[in-house]
Amino acid sequence: MSPRLRLALLILAGLAILPGAAHVIGALPPFGHPVAVYGQSVNALLPELRHVSNMVTAINFDVRGFDTVGEEFMLLAAVAGTVLLLRGGRGEDRVDVGGRIGGRPVSPRSDAVVLLCRICGPFTFIFGVYVALHATVTPGGGFQGGVVIASALLLIYIGEGYGRWRQLVRVPVLDAVEGAGALLFVAAGLLPVAMGLAFLTNVLPLGTLGDMMSGGLMLVENAGVTLAVAGGFATVLIEFMEETRATDSETGPEDGE
Amino acid sequence: MTLLETLVPFPVVLPLAVAAVVLAAGERLPRHVPEALGIAAALAVAALSAVLAHGALGSTPVYWFGGWVPRPGVTLGIAFAPDPASAGIAAFTGLLFAAALVFAWGFFDEVRSVFNVLMLLFLAAMQGFCLTRDMFNLFVWFEVMSVVAYALTGFSLRTASLAGALNFTVINSLGSTLMLAGIGLVYARTGALDFEAVRTAVDRMGDDPVVIAGFCLVSAALLTKGAILPFQFWLADAHAVAPSPVSVIFSGIMVPIGLFGYAKIRLQIFPGSPDAMDILYRLVLGIGCATAVFGGLLAWSQRHLKRLLAFSTISHVGIMLTGVAAVAPVGLAGFLAYVVGHGLVKGTLFMLVGILLAEKASVDELDLRGLGRDIWPAGVATAVAALLLGGAPVGILHGGAHLIDAAAPPGPAGWVVRLAALLGTVLTGGAVLRFAGRIYLGLGADPGDEAHAPTDQEREKAGRPLWLMLAPCVVLLAIDLLTPAGVVEGLAARVVPQFGVVGPAVDLPQPAAWGLLMPWLALGGVLLVATLALSGDRLPRQLPRVQASVLTPFFAGLNRLHTGVVNDYVVWFAVGIALFAGWAAL
Repeated sequence: MSPRLRLALLILAGLAILPGAAHVIGALPPFGHPVAVYGQSVNALLPELRHVSNMVTAINFDVRGFDTVGEEFMLLAAVAGTVLLLRGGRGEDRVDVGGRIGGRPVSPRSDAVVLLCRICGPFTFIFGVYVALHATVTPGGGFQGGVVIASALLLIYIGEGYGRWRQLVRVPVLDAVEGAGALLFVAAGLLPVAMGLAFLTNVLPLGTLGDMMSGGLMLVENAGVTLAVAGGFATVLIEFMEETRATDSETGPEDGE
Repeated sequence: MTLLETLVPFPVVLPLAVAAVVLAAGERLPRHVPEALGIAAALAVAALSAVLAHGALGSTPVYWFGGWVPRPGVTLGIAFAPDPASAGIAAFTGLLFAAALVFAWGFFDEVRSVFNVLMLLFLAAMQGFCLTRDMFNLFVWFEVMSVVAYALTGFSLRTASLAGALNFTVINSLGSTLMLAGIGLVYARTGALDFEAVRTAVDRMGDDPVVIAGFCLVSAALLTKGAILPFQFWLADAHAVAPSPVSVIFSGIMVPIGLFGYAKIRLQIFPGSPDAMDILYRLVLGIGCATAVFGGLLAWSQRHLKRLLAFSTISHVGIMLTGVAAVAPVGLAGFLAYVVGHGLVKGTLFMLVGILLAEKASVDELDLRGLGRDIWPAGVATAVAALLLGGAPVGILHGGAHLIDAAAPPGPAGWVVRLAALLGTVLTGGAVLRFAGRIYLGLGADPGDEAHAPTDQEREKAGRPLWLMLAPCVVLLAIDLLTPAGVVEGLAARVVPQFGVVGPAVDLPQPAAWGLLMPWLALGGVLLVATLALSGDRLPRQLPRVQASVLTPFFAGLNRLHTGVVNDYVVWFAVGIALFAGWAAL
């Protein structure tokens, strides 16, 4: 199809969609309309039923916890797919230490960068753990905390260099953390099944509203998500960094490592 | 909680847990253990779902995750409702995965654990998609299915496979976005996500424009997954480049399951909306007929065997869609049987082409002419599969086709539907029989220089034992062939009322002259077109001239629509949306 024909067809399709779309937009609930009955019920019921103040966490890990199981494994699938495509493209020689391409200069980092990363890295890590731990109390949770933790790991690379980073952050360990996290979530769901209740029923003590240790089983599920997300994101970061080594094969053996 | 109810989440949870274990253990597991675990998990899932299907006959259990049973006026939780039809399709999915994983034994040595993790997630997602009773949960499993499928398509990392995977990703992600938007619209109006709660609200509202828009958007998404015209362009590109065991799953179940989801929302959410049902009974039925013919013509005109099979899948989902969109519930019964029968036959055919790729390092029909003689058992299986695909009056696929045929609307419209199904059946069966004759018997004119395929060199991992690759083919074909069509029809008719939540009993069609004649007509057509294509020089002189002046340009024109350029596909996608929007606005 020529670009002009394509554009004409697209415009025609757009014109055909327009009247219907306008009609539907006109019939939508007005802007600022009171929240749906679903949200109102959750807000009204959950602080009392589950002793948590972060309703997003309560929905993610309790009321609609099974959706989160699916999303958790969707992330796992995306990471596994990325690994499959990137690692396959580079060939299967998995080197666990960072290599260096000959002829590419390695400029030394300035002391300021090293110092800054050594200070910020641990604090970022602790902040990630904090965000993850307070899932049931304040905004945040395992997904967000896991990403922050993974980016703390990335600060090791900036501060210590690629070789040291690859020595400290090992792919098999990340795989194990990711898999174990996912497994922990599933295990949390199976605990009530062993007691004769439905999958993911919140059977643990609920704690006090506003306390970090509130929410019962949600805390375990949240810990699983934290591990899986941190492991998954760190894996993806490593695979992306390894992609820069694709030049290896292009430069030929004499220029290679 | 009864034992049966306790089992409900396990078809999803079991493969997820195994996938997590395989991922965590990674390369530390001994060789072949991930593969063995995958096969065992698939068989276990098939058994679990079969037990659920059997146990649910009579009354469907409803399983509320987290114990969130509905409160007066508001349904908060997520439920699984494994009615016999849903659990039955889920069980068939497990069986097909087991067969594909046996076929793939040794295929993915290099990336064994990652491949097996992805396949297990794929399986779990399909189980969830079949069993769920919640719109957003349906979307979650739909997405997991898509994400896994994108990665598996690009697996072999050639330029063609990455391009195919990219087209697949772009078009299907568009579909997913629309599905989410559609669910959002329905939720905005009804305030619920649970099928039953939404249905109650839709029944009360009747024809609300927001609800209809939601129906149209969700339809477009599921028809994209189901590869229905004009949302189907991704399919041939993706199937042609995916590894054969993955194509088995794509064509055998992933594409039909899109229509299964469609059948489910049609029955369990929107039956109370006259406008939605009008779109279904007329527009969607028409699109189904067009898809059946379009896919058949394109399948016939291919020489790349995987593309040929991919287009034949498009043709057959078109036939399935006419069953889903039929007013008569017997069409749905036919659809369920057709999904299983088609999955068995098409899965087998993709494995047989995979055998050619492994043994002969080609998938080009002309290039392979006469080269298959030393693997003749594969040829026998291909011929049997061709006849089954071409409407042979035995087995599960025939049972489904017979019921779909009986659901055709009265009057001239019914004859259009029947003719479309007949054309699709003849062309796809004929195309498969044609390549079987050419490759395994060396029939047809010598192609000369034309034999050198324009496609790039293709090969799949060689040196796998032939008997191990053939075993799952034989098992699947035997299941289709040896199950009496009458039993299938009875079973399908029995499970449909429960699939539709509460429905009247489905009347099985009386033996009618047309119903008896149709399979023989199709089979005759298959033999005729295959013979014409393979008789080469011995044809009457006029035929080649017709071929050159009419057919060749016609087929070339159809193939030119499949440019492989994703921009074009997106425009066709927009045309499809416009079709729905225009119809709904009128």
